[in-house]
Amino acid sequence: MNWAWADSDVPLIVIRAMHFAATAVTAGALLFRAVVAEPAARHAGWTRAMPASSARQVASIGLAMTVPSGMIWVLLLTMRMSGLSLEDAFSADGLGTVIGDTQFGQASAVRLLCSLILAGCLVFDRIAWLRWGGLAAALGLVAGLAWTGHAGSTPDPLGEIHLAADILHLGAASAWVGGLLLLARMLIAARRQPTPEWRAYELDGIRRFSVLGMVSVATLIVSGLVNAWLLVGSWRGLVVTDYGLLLSVKLVLFGVMLAFAAINRLLLTPQLASVAQGQPQPTAFRRLTRNTVIELALGLVVFAVVGALGIQHPAIHLAQ
Amino acid sequence: MPRSFLFAMMALMLGLASEVQAHATLDHAEPRVGNTMATAPHEVTLWFTQKLESAFSSITVTNAAGERVDSGKTRVSGSQMSVTLRAGGPGTYRVNWRVLSVDTHTTEGNFTFQVGQ
Repeated sequence: MNWAWADSDVPLIVIRAMHFAATAVTAGALLFRAVVAEPAARHAGWTRAMPASSARQVASIGLAMTVPSGMIWVLLLTMRMSGLSLEDAFSADGLGTVIGDTQFGQASAVRLLCSLILAGCLVFDRIAWLRWGGLAAALGLVAGLAWTGHAGSTPDPLGEIHLAADILHLGAASAWVGGLLLLARMLIAARRQPTPEWRAYELDGIRRFSVLGMVSVATLIVSGLVNAWLLVGSWRGLVVTDYGLLLSVKLVLFGVMLAFAAINRLLLTPQLASVAQGQPQPTAFRRLTRNTVIELALGLVVFAVVGALGIQHPAIHLAQ
Repeated sequence: MPRSFLFAMMALMLGLASEVQAHATLDHAEPRVGNTMATAPHEVTLWFTQKLESAFSSITVTNAAGERVDSGKTRVSGSQMSVTLRAGGPGTYRVNWRVLSVDTHTTEGNFTFQVGQ
């Protein structure tokens, strides 16, 4: 059989993009539940958050995509690293060597363990401490990605700084994009329940997500600057290398997402405040829902770019 | 999700894939690339810009007659890789290297150095 497709970058980029997006949605959904939905529900005097089951459902679907996409990623890279066919890649020389002897393989094994723990926590989601355990496992699943990419290969003494910056970057991206999905579901669900209690709950949730979003954006900017310093190094690197050009695309998409977030925060959220005072503003709700879905779609496109960025050679080594 | 958005995502990924190229990442070497030495070195050491995976990284060295003069046992430590040499006489030595960096990029390259000329 011809395995030429395994040498192509397309399957690797697609599977990486899927894996990063699924991982981010999984962790982001559980983080949204912990810091947005459940506190808002408690504030409203409810015993359980509306999107509690929604977050579990989204995280379960995300995990169901994360695990197989992660396995395919390991398999594709095993074939690429070893030059073995698909059948031979399952051997001790293939997967055995990659999982046992490479940082990528070891990180993937640890991340698979996090996935199994998370799956168990999601099954017994009604037990409070297991919900926190599930969130910790989900964050471990996200953080582990740092050891599979460029940050994991930076030599000392900057290696630890690069890893820390990348972990923060991945965590913030997950909180933002994964949270957007839950926020969109929350807004759509609230439109079907136009009661004052739901409106108050929704508005509180929007405000809490707004804080989470601002923290995430600030973290993304700071950690992104550190990553750019270590991987791009110069303005020249940003414009003359493929890595730099891809990063520029990512920055433009980030800028557009930020513009939507600013409109939501500065324009639409204050308009929504009047809803709690009994003056319905369905237009603002509709716009906020639409903007949230657009932001989410842009976030998924960013993951497509990340899928390609990770297999590029860092600009800093090429633009000197 | 709209079908047009999915098509746009696929088109973007395919477009990005066509741009992907890997490049050599050798930072410096001892003996230096292209240098001339009075006697053959006991080992060749290469330094790279990223940390390496020992399982998929190796060096081979041939002498002027095209015979392998390396021990066949490449040692990897962080971003550094070495191999011990046997005596191979004067002439042009060729160093071939193939490395897998920890971020899973495979790169390869070669250079020469002179002995006793």
